[in-house]
Amino acid sequence: MWLTELCRTAAFRLTLMAVAAMAGVMVMQFGLVYTQMEAVESHRSTALLRGEAELLAQMTPEHLEYVVRKRATDDMRLVISSAGLFDASHALIAGDLRAWPHGLKADGKPHNIEIYPEEGAPYPLRLLAETMPDGTILVLGRSFHLLAEQKLMLRHATVLAAIPTLLFALLLGMVLSHRALSRVKDMHEAIDLIMAGDIHERLPAGKERDDLERLAGSVNRMLDRLENLMDGMREVGNDIAHDLRTPLSRVRAKLERAMSTGSTGEVLENAVARAVDDLDQCLGIITALLRIAEIESSRRRAGFGVVNLAELVADVVDLYEPIAETEGIALLTRVSSVPVCIDGDRHLLVELLANLVDNAIKFTPDGGTVTVSVIRQGTTPELIVTDTGIGIAVDERQAVMSRFYRSDKSRHVPGSGLGLSLVLAIAHLHEATVTIEAGPNGQGTLFRITFS
Amino acid sequence: MTEHTHHDDQHDQSDKQSGRIARGSVLLIEDDSTIAEEIVAELTGHGLDVLHRATGDSGLAAALAGGADVLVVDRLLPGLDGLSVIETLRQRGIRTPVLVLSALSAVDDRVTGLKAGGDDYLTKPFAMEELLARVEALLRRPDDTRSTKLCVGPLEMDLIERRVWRDGREIDLLPREFRLLEYLMRRPDQVLTRSMLLEDVWQYRFIPRTNLVDVHIGKLRRKVDSPGEEPLIKSIRGTGFLLRVAD
Repeated sequence: MWLTELCRTAAFRLTLMAVAAMAGVMVMQFGLVYTQMEAVESHRSTALLRGEAELLAQMTPEHLEYVVRKRATDDMRLVISSAGLFDASHALIAGDLRAWPHGLKADGKPHNIEIYPEEGAPYPLRLLAETMPDGTILVLGRSFHLLAEQKLMLRHATVLAAIPTLLFALLLGMVLSHRALSRVKDMHEAIDLIMAGDIHERLPAGKERDDLERLAGSVNRMLDRLENLMDGMREVGNDIAHDLRTPLSRVRAKLERAMSTGSTGEVLENAVARAVDDLDQCLGIITALLRIAEIESSRRRAGFGVVNLAELVADVVDLYEPIAETEGIALLTRVSSVPVCIDGDRHLLVELLANLVDNAIKFTPDGGTVTVSVIRQGTTPELIVTDTGIGIAVDERQAVMSRFYRSDKSRHVPGSGLGLSLVLAIAHLHEATVTIEAGPNGQGTLFRITFS
Repeated sequence: MTEHTHHDDQHDQSDKQSGRIARGSVLLIEDDSTIAEEIVAELTGHGLDVLHRATGDSGLAAALAGGADVLVVDRLLPGLDGLSVIETLRQRGIRTPVLVLSALSAVDDRVTGLKAGGDDYLTKPFAMEELLARVEALLRRPDDTRSTKLCVGPLEMDLIERRVWRDGREIDLLPREFRLLEYLMRRPDQVLTRSMLLEDVWQYRFIPRTNLVDVHIGKLRRKVDSPGEEPLIKSIRGTGFLLRVAD
């Protein structure tokens, strides 16, 4: 169980691969040294055989036969291990070779040939046959004994070196992968907890010294962000529920009272009419929420085109001028003579500006002024709405952008509390930023939409 | 020919049931039975003849059979979807005006709805008065003649010189007031809701506050109806406005 898990870790697999590669390299090295040794020995034995043959060829036939015969009984066979003198028909004259080696040619070149002795296993010899001036053939042989011994030594040395090295690498790999495995196991446990609903749990990330810890750190930061978003959603959900419950409970109370006391048709009719108004408010909140969600989730820029901000301002002011007039507010525009154009969705931008102007008029008392300006700050176009109204406290400026936020000063003013969220969503879609500042002379509010 | 016969058949049936003279016939294709019931009640209550079908396929068959003056089609239907119904009808050359109903408010959906051949688009939830006003508007296509003058009751409008008179008295209007009055004069005696005015006169698809249109109408009304004159621009409670000329 533990072993199969170990085998599945990436670290252990890497170790196995490294061990295999090391073993491979060792085999290759062994092979290289081996062939090199063989080549050297082959070269040396050829030279020795040929030198000896040349030396013997200079002797008289009688002397040669004597030497060969004597050699055969000699035990000094280190350089030349076998020798034989044959006549032209390959019949043995003298020497310790029993018969003419099978397949040997008298061409003065070395041949590797298997020799079958009277007893024991056959053994290879490097043989050289040279025809003497008197027609006899001298055969000299050198065994591979030395080479075989050297090879054996080499093999032993290699294996002796390889086994501990490979074992050590394998052990190291197992230890390392076991450590990695235990860390991954901790992470798995943390993830299981998170999946089970404990969103506050985090992966063990340590000091982020290696890739695994850095990955855990990234995952943790992602979880932080998700937790924030979830908190935000939960908050918004509560706010929605609260904002809907208020008008809905009013509707319920009104209808209930009308039912219990309302005898006349007129009373009932009135109650129903007011209930419908309250329900419209609820529907308004839901519609606004859906609209914001729709704009926020929208990545579409299909409705985008060139929008002249001055024309946009003129359109919105045209719509709001009568209402400003009725409420005793001066609605002014300040537009630069150079056309300021941006890439945007005209319908959404109208909605954005209308919401700002609507807000400004709502929160500006009789006799105040609302100004809509289009300026170009360097190369960035800006849309600015200022009012001389009640203003927004510095510490509240961030909060007013969130959904359903109503400052204490604005509780009495009707509205869904979603207007600025909508403004923010539309601005985001246009990659524009919304900032809230104090109005001119520190009075009222200034909304600045900065397009990139 | 066939279309005409069907038309008459429907009128006969409905006349027998309601005992009223139908002003037009509506084919409603809507799968939600509660909403469908409400719509049928509202429309028949206002003298319209309504045929209801609950699926796209049966609705398309009924529309192809002909007879309806206006189609009210829900976008999302079981089986054949609302937009496909409209597309099929338009491909067959049937030009009956269509009001698309949808629970989707996305601007994109509105555009695709109108592109598929819908003439107007209404997002759920809606007030029944809004639906009625829009169906009526589709039944009575506006007077979009190319004439340079509009004459409605005591009002006379010169579209080229941008001037308006009431019984010979010239009314001085701002450009936006002129546009609003022109829209009303092209649709006399027809209930126009606030969102219809915002959508058609200002091309806005949202209502930031309810009294926005009322203030515009109020300003226009003060100029059109002088003290002592019979008021021409009427408010319809909870619904919208109407330019009354016929007696």
